[in-house]
Amino acid sequence: MGPLIVYDIISDNANLFFAFLIGIGFGFVLEINGFSSSRRLAGMFYGYDTTVLKVFFTAAIVAAVGLLFMSLFNWIDLSSIYINPTFLWSSLGGGVIMGAGFILGGYCPGTSFCAASIGKLDALAFIGGMFIGIFIFTEGYPLWEDFYNAKYLGSPVLSDLLGSSRGVLTLLMILVALGMFWVGEWTEKRFARDDYKLNQK
Amino acid sequence: MKARLVLATLIIPMGLIIAAVPENTTRPYKLTAEELLEEVKTGTQFIYPDQVADMIIQKDPTLQIIDVRSADEYDKFSLPNSINIPLVNILNPDWEDYLDQDIKFNVFYSNGTKDANEAWMITRQLGFENNYVLQGGLNYWVETIMNPEAPKSTSPNDEILKYNLRKGAGMALGGAAVNTQPSTMAKSSKPPITKRKKKKKVQGGC
Repeated sequence: MGPLIVYDIISDNANLFFAFLIGIGFGFVLEINGFSSSRRLAGMFYGYDTTVLKVFFTAAIVAAVGLLFMSLFNWIDLSSIYINPTFLWSSLGGGVIMGAGFILGGYCPGTSFCAASIGKLDALAFIGGMFIGIFIFTEGYPLWEDFYNAKYLGSPVLSDLLGSSRGVLTLLMILVALGMFWVGEWTEKRFARDDYKLNQK
Repeated sequence: MKARLVLATLIIPMGLIIAAVPENTTRPYKLTAEELLEEVKTGTQFIYPDQVADMIIQKDPTLQIIDVRSADEYDKFSLPNSINIPLVNILNPDWEDYLDQDIKFNVFYSNGTKDANEAWMITRQLGFENNYVLQGGLNYWVETIMNPEAPKSTSPNDEILKYNLRKGAGMALGGAAVNTQPSTMAKSSKPPITKRKKKKKVQGGC
């Protein structure tokens, strides 16, 4: 059995259609997990709600295990999966900017659209800010072009850097993730707030 | 609490299994014999010496000439800026970055067409793209580009044009010099070079 989808077999438009369906699924998962609540998202930074960590790490380890099993059964060709290339300095800079915006605004780019779609005005303001940021970045591109392209590392993979197999690394990540969930639930109790009930929607 | 236990009981055993089994390193995406035969029949892999010569003269940065002969033969004579990947080493992982990519325009050559064609078939079978074979190999290259046969003065114009281009290319590449205007000729009779569209990369994010 060959890979599930070979790049050239489906057209670009069919590709977009699948992306649309996956996008709906992604938005749905965000919404049922309460990611359209800025208090829930900001709770990650204050420790009173670690749902964000749990959802994303669950997604990551389930996807990792799933991909490795699919590769094992020859359903998917892992070498044809696109890995976003790493530009070290812009990754770090972008992380800091995004993190600061995340705490200030209470949303990340994806969840702001999620929240805007259920009518939250602060999410609309956040989206407005995002477009202002995009405008500043593109118009001022020559100013930070060097920084943006500095320290290109290709597409490094953690398992190659550590010299372990992908499977062993995945097991390790599973254990780390479960450990973090445990710590997360501890901080939820430790930093609980009177005015915030967990699992509010 | 309960959800975490369920997740842990499901995913830890799966993680253990995946850590224990050897990694699957086969590449499932390969051309079928029929697909390969179809490409061989239409000869899409061939590129003519004139096209390559023109790319060399234009200093096309995407051109990557690959000599698939042995290192000895490569040392004796090779095309300018070519790299040497002997056919017997073609599956060496060191070369995979050169052969499996979507930026460069790889041209294999050997003395005749045989070895270069075999290199192309192997890489094509692995699903690699952008690899081509120099039509006629080095022998035909020397015959047409380095020592082109002068057409009769009564020959049709395009014959003379082609000769001038070849002569110019030969000169640029260190062959015999004659009184032609290589630069203008090379421009005016630029052969069509079809480049493959680059694949768009999908980007994700939160």
